[in-house]
Amino acid sequence: MRGGGDQERKELFTRRAALFSGGVTLLFGGVAARLYHLQIANHEAFNELAIENQFNSRVLTPLRGEIVDRFGVSLASNRQNFRVLLVPEETSDPEEALQKIANYVELPPSRRQRILREIRRTSGVNPVQVIDNLDWDEFAKISFARPELPGALPEVGETRNYPFGPATAFVIGYVGAVTDRDLQAEDDEGERVLLRQPGFKVGRDGLERTYERELRGVAGEMQVKVNAHGQVLDEYRDDAVQPEQGRPLALTIDAELQAAAMKELEGESASAVVLDIETGDVLVLASTPAFDPNLFNTGIPSSLWRELNESPYKPLLNKPLGGIYPPGSTFKMVSAIAAQRSGIRPDHSVRCLGRMYYGNRYFHCWKRGGHGVVDMKNSLKKSCDVYYYDIAQQLDIDLLADTAERLGLGQSYNLGIPGERGGTVPSREWKRAFYAGSPENQRWYPGETLSVVIGQGAATSTPLQLAVMAARIASGKQVRPRMVRMVGETISPQPNFADVEIDPAYFDVARAGMDAVTNEIGGTAYRSRLDNPDWRLAGKTGTSQVYRITAEERAKGLTKPEQLPWEKRDHALFVCFAPFENPRYACSVVVEHGIGGSRAAGPKAREIMRAVLKKDPASLPPIGPSALAAAGPAGRRGRG
Amino acid sequence: MSSIHLPSGRRDIGDYLGRLHWPMIAALSLIAGVGVLTLYSVAGGAWSPWALKHAIRFGAALSLMVAMAFVPIRFWMALAYPTYFGALIALALVPFIGATNMGAQRWLEYGAFQFQPSEAMKIGLVMGLARYYYGLRAEQVSHPVFLAPPVAMILAPVGLVFIQPDLGTSLLLAATGFSIVLLAGVSWRITFLGGLAALIGAYGAYRFEILKPYQLERIFTFLDPDRDPLGQGYHLLQSKTGIGSGGLTGKGFMEGTQAQLKFLPEMQTDFIFTVFGEEFGFVGAVSLLGLYLTVILMGVFVAVRARSHFARLVSMGVVVTFALYVLINTGMVMGLAPVVGVPLPLVSYGGTVMLTIMGGFGLVLSAHASRDQDASGIIV
Repeated sequence: MRGGGDQERKELFTRRAALFSGGVTLLFGGVAARLYHLQIANHEAFNELAIENQFNSRVLTPLRGEIVDRFGVSLASNRQNFRVLLVPEETSDPEEALQKIANYVELPPSRRQRILREIRRTSGVNPVQVIDNLDWDEFAKISFARPELPGALPEVGETRNYPFGPATAFVIGYVGAVTDRDLQAEDDEGERVLLRQPGFKVGRDGLERTYERELRGVAGEMQVKVNAHGQVLDEYRDDAVQPEQGRPLALTIDAELQAAAMKELEGESASAVVLDIETGDVLVLASTPAFDPNLFNTGIPSSLWRELNESPYKPLLNKPLGGIYPPGSTFKMVSAIAAQRSGIRPDHSVRCLGRMYYGNRYFHCWKRGGHGVVDMKNSLKKSCDVYYYDIAQQLDIDLLADTAERLGLGQSYNLGIPGERGGTVPSREWKRAFYAGSPENQRWYPGETLSVVIGQGAATSTPLQLAVMAARIASGKQVRPRMVRMVGETISPQPNFADVEIDPAYFDVARAGMDAVTNEIGGTAYRSRLDNPDWRLAGKTGTSQVYRITAEERAKGLTKPEQLPWEKRDHALFVCFAPFENPRYACSVVVEHGIGGSRAAGPKAREIMRAVLKKDPASLPPIGPSALAAAGPAGRRGRG
Repeated sequence: MSSIHLPSGRRDIGDYLGRLHWPMIAALSLIAGVGVLTLYSVAGGAWSPWALKHAIRFGAALSLMVAMAFVPIRFWMALAYPTYFGALIALALVPFIGATNMGAQRWLEYGAFQFQPSEAMKIGLVMGLARYYYGLRAEQVSHPVFLAPPVAMILAPVGLVFIQPDLGTSLLLAATGFSIVLLAGVSWRITFLGGLAALIGAYGAYRFEILKPYQLERIFTFLDPDRDPLGQGYHLLQSKTGIGSGGLTGKGFMEGTQAQLKFLPEMQTDFIFTVFGEEFGFVGAVSLLGLYLTVILMGVFVAVRARSHFARLVSMGVVVTFALYVLINTGMVMGLAPVVGVPLPLVSYGGTVMLTIMGGFGLVLSAHASRDQDASGIIV
């Protein structure tokens, strides 16, 4: 193939090769033009995309505000929490990732399922908390093994710590994980982002819940550099907006006395309230049995939750506020004052024969044999029921109800703790409203007044109301209890209570009667007296009927309340104030099914009051705003 | 210098070194250097796992290329048909004894030695077709009787590679093959008819679902990148973002955020141009393109200057393959071509492709060294 034959095809080839060169050059030009389009013409837009890719803003969770007692003793603080998060983006199989983590920490299958559900619920966008409250050894082990654990992120977070545990559970409440409902209820998108942070907690009960806004704080923000897998490569701490810790709360509670009261009530289903009569400060708000809110932080084990819910001692009920009991004989001061308002003089005397016939039946005194002749003061001292049956016949129920309300019963005080109940002060109006659906039952019968006048029938009160009643009787002022002294630097003003709108002279016999109950031989709570003359305690017992022993049972020999099952025994109540001459503290104690006020409630109230009077917290300076601002070891710093 | 007597031409080694196409060797080395540099950056500033191996492989491939250049082109011509048919047989064996990797059978294994027949076919097809047209007179080229064998020679390997399945390589083989037919001088009329037949074939492939779903997906994504922002289109968008954010002069060596933060897929292979474009900008990317075009045009000159028709067509065949690689890869990462998995020659990490390319240029260098000989070895 040499010579002329080759010449022709060489020329053809050369032409085509030239054409090819031209074509390829043109195509390269096209590629270069595309480069120009991307790198020069649209550089800005793509550069922005690249920057958006690299930087993420990360929420800096604020520390929750501390809660302290009246002297600055910590009741709720934050402590370091070694925990493990799972970053769903960093693992292709979260289930397998959890399996691997379970080799290092205990992770039962049910908990794993819950985490997987959580990941699905949030579409795997956010890290999810796998486990927290690890000890240092566990945390170190899992941090060390991290290269083998895709998606696992060991981290130091903060968790709520309640140094007094069960003792303040009903005051402080507790925090819990954010639910879908919390998210729906939140209008602010920024707050929602904060709520979605892994392991973020909100107040679930108590002051933690009521003061959620104040305690939560303000989220900060930090730019972080991330790679395509969302791994944080760099943090820009210097330009970060620091989170602001939530505002601290200073309470009126005295943690020391609170703990002492809880100890006094231990083993009973009971409550105790102590008030500072002058300021209305709630010094003690005790309820037993209680739960440990520290256990609630991490999610309540279902077995514990069931146990708490099913216990007859109702450990989840905040009894001082949410427990309502017939006030029983503690109501008799109200009746005595109401009697004077309707014109019955304190020297009005009644012969008690142990029972009184009224309407078509007998009304019994608690003392079968009767008290003989008693006047108003002695009716309190001996807690004679017949005396009150007698005056009830001249007493209008609405005047009695009005007196009860002026003395603090039937009202809510809004301490900031959810679950406060109002109780019932029976009156004509109350009965009409109660039987709104059946007009034939709306009429008030005089016989009903005979029950109410001794604190039975429809009358119910909370222990808090009873303490307020004692405080109002002691001082003649409209004492209103309060629980929160300071929110942040805002201190609530010193209250100046107005006089109760009842002739002050009517209180004298009530006070004298209460004094006689504890300090005179023959008083129903003589054994609950305090011997120190400076601490002279005036009180009143109460026993409220839970179950009426039937004639049939009595015939079978059932006469003693101890023979009844626990839940049918009477409640034991005691209200008191001290010192008698210059009242400063008022107290109420209710022991559920404690049988008798004088033996179950009185001595406990005496011991609580002994501790209160010994310490005399009202004489000590409470924590001031500047000390509160510095409260807590963490100060006002946030978690970064 | 010791004088070695080589069989053809009886010159010593000094002469031969003088006949090497040094500018082309330099240009290829520069391109491979860009590859080493970029792979070093992709690894976050480390020689392992890619950069060092790439450099070593290039050194070995370069030696092979130069060694091939010492062999006169007529010896390569004698090997043309055996190479083509050897590769074809190997390709035919793949479905029976080949190893499966990522859903495709492309490899033949013998112990630690792996061999990808489709890569060998890239050279084999070029050599086979060049050999065929060497024996044809100009007026015979467009005759149907003489047209049938090359078409068969092209379609056989294209079909075998397609069923592996490897759409990218089969298209590349087809394009290379028909380019050679065109360069051999087939008439435009036949070219037009061939193009029409290819279009009908493509439609048929789509109509009768011959393409795998992922292949169709790639084509559709290319046509409309918004249809799956987190799949193929996401990679493309990240790639365009990388290149675009590079700007005029780039973000600097090892400073590409898209690359360093792993937003790019397959950075060491298919998307390496993105990394380079991001870090060295428009200036760098255009320079690299210029380097490629320089090699291509030098190759065209070698082809045009060759006295042997085989040498001409082989050289052009290699150059066409090389150009297609560059155009498809750069087009692919910038959204001008579908993402079909074609590497950027000498820059992308991968030994087989480098061997193919450098082997091809070994033939070009041989053609250049033998430029004054016709096929019989007689110097004119």
